[in-house]
Amino acid sequence: MLRLAGLAIALGIWELAGRRLGDALLAPPSVVVRQFVPQLFDGSVLPVLAGSLREMSIGFVLAYALGVPAGVLMARSKTVDALFGPWLSMGIVTSIAALVPLFILMFGTGFSFRVAIVFFATVWFVALTVFQGARGIEPRWLEVGRAFGAGPLQSFSKIMLPALYPSLLVGARIGLIHAIRAMVVAETFVVVGYGALIHNSGLSVSTAPLLGLLLLLMLIGIGVTWALRRVSSLIAPWYEDRRSL
Amino acid sequence: MKPTRIRRALGSASLNWFSIVAGLIVWEAIARRLPHIVLPPPSIVLVRLVEDTLSGKLIVALLGSLEALALGLALAIVVGVPLGFAFGRSRTFADMFDPVLNALYAIPPVAFVPFLIIWFGLHLPARVALVFLMSVFEITVAVTAGARDVNPTQIDVGRSFGARRMDLARKVIFPAALPFIFTGFRIGLVRAINATITAELFFAAINLGALMNDDARRFDTAGLLSVIVLLSLLGLAAQAALRRLEARVLPWHIRAAA
Repeated sequence: MLRLAGLAIALGIWELAGRRLGDALLAPPSVVVRQFVPQLFDGSVLPVLAGSLREMSIGFVLAYALGVPAGVLMARSKTVDALFGPWLSMGIVTSIAALVPLFILMFGTGFSFRVAIVFFATVWFVALTVFQGARGIEPRWLEVGRAFGAGPLQSFSKIMLPALYPSLLVGARIGLIHAIRAMVVAETFVVVGYGALIHNSGLSVSTAPLLGLLLLLMLIGIGVTWALRRVSSLIAPWYEDRRSL
Repeated sequence: MKPTRIRRALGSASLNWFSIVAGLIVWEAIARRLPHIVLPPPSIVLVRLVEDTLSGKLIVALLGSLEALALGLALAIVVGVPLGFAFGRSRTFADMFDPVLNALYAIPPVAFVPFLIIWFGLHLPARVALVFLMSVFEITVAVTAGARDVNPTQIDVGRSFGARRMDLARKVIFPAALPFIFTGFRIGLVRAINATITAELFFAAINLGALMNDDARRFDTAGLLSVIVLLSLLGLAAQAALRRLEARVLPWHIRAAA
């Protein structure tokens, strides 16, 4: 109830402010819905979005496939941690927007550029999240397994992997949020795909289409978060994700 | 410290350096086989970094960038810290507005750029607004976590010694939440540095953003990399400085580096 009340208050404020300021500055939600919903189904938005998300997922999958083993190795071996550590902290702080002009010179503005940006924006966060999760695996659990005669393969699949599930999912969630951000950064800069839609709608008289596009991105972000939380509560019900974002 | 621990710390630090040097050597070896437009070797990037720093070009641009950075971050702190306390200390407030915060946070910040242009134009106010937007959420979340995790026993003790609400807030809750406020500043500062260069590239190009634009037009990859390296080093230095400050100001709470 309270959550709905909060959303209702926010929407109410937006509606009132929008009516005061006018569509050119801040279109109220009623106008955004009326204008954007028809646009959504006339084929000018959804196919573009699907194309952008496809490229984004390629970059994300590559980053995930590399980031997860890197994070696990760093957590299990002090040496790997010391070797990867400096590059990881450098990668985490590096601004993705600043990389865009560089990557354009290296890769052009096509498919490989956009995949590279998403990959580079995501891989560090996946590795860091999985690293933090895998570090929490207690040596005691592995010792108990060994005491009960588990081999290395069994102790990996029966002890380490289940203990990793939650951080694998949190890593996917945080990674996807960064991947979507990077997709928008890359596409808005070179004006292509969904980023081009955002860029062009900024030039129109009314802010309604722009706000509609932002709301759609927001729904995707929330949907991804929600879905991964559901998966997490199904396969790792003992783990409670306490991070609010 | 015990001798073994010193040896271990030394070992990990020297491995860090080894890794950095080895990475640079690999980069150098690969880059020598490629055209410099695609990937310049680190030696050339380093020379550029030193040259442009000594000639003052980078320093002037960097100082110019600090204006939007400082203003945006200050605004984000002024808004984010009280907001975080409200979220952390009031169940009702958190239940009501957590979905709103999550919804806003789910929107990629750069998607706001056309909107910010409509509201604030292409210059300083727009840059300040983007820096604010990109750092305020992280600060709010960190402070929320801190304000929520205050040990209830400490509050009870305060209350049984006759502390009023204001006393509790100032003398118990605030000090207990300080480490998290520091974490918020640290994350917020790194985000603000990123936001500054983002704003300088996506609004009217200026300062470091203008340098990068010029380099890109001249296909000067080494120049671009020197700015990126400078920014990343700045981010790492800012983080380290705040960690050190935290250890100084809050000696009772020195946490392992996260």
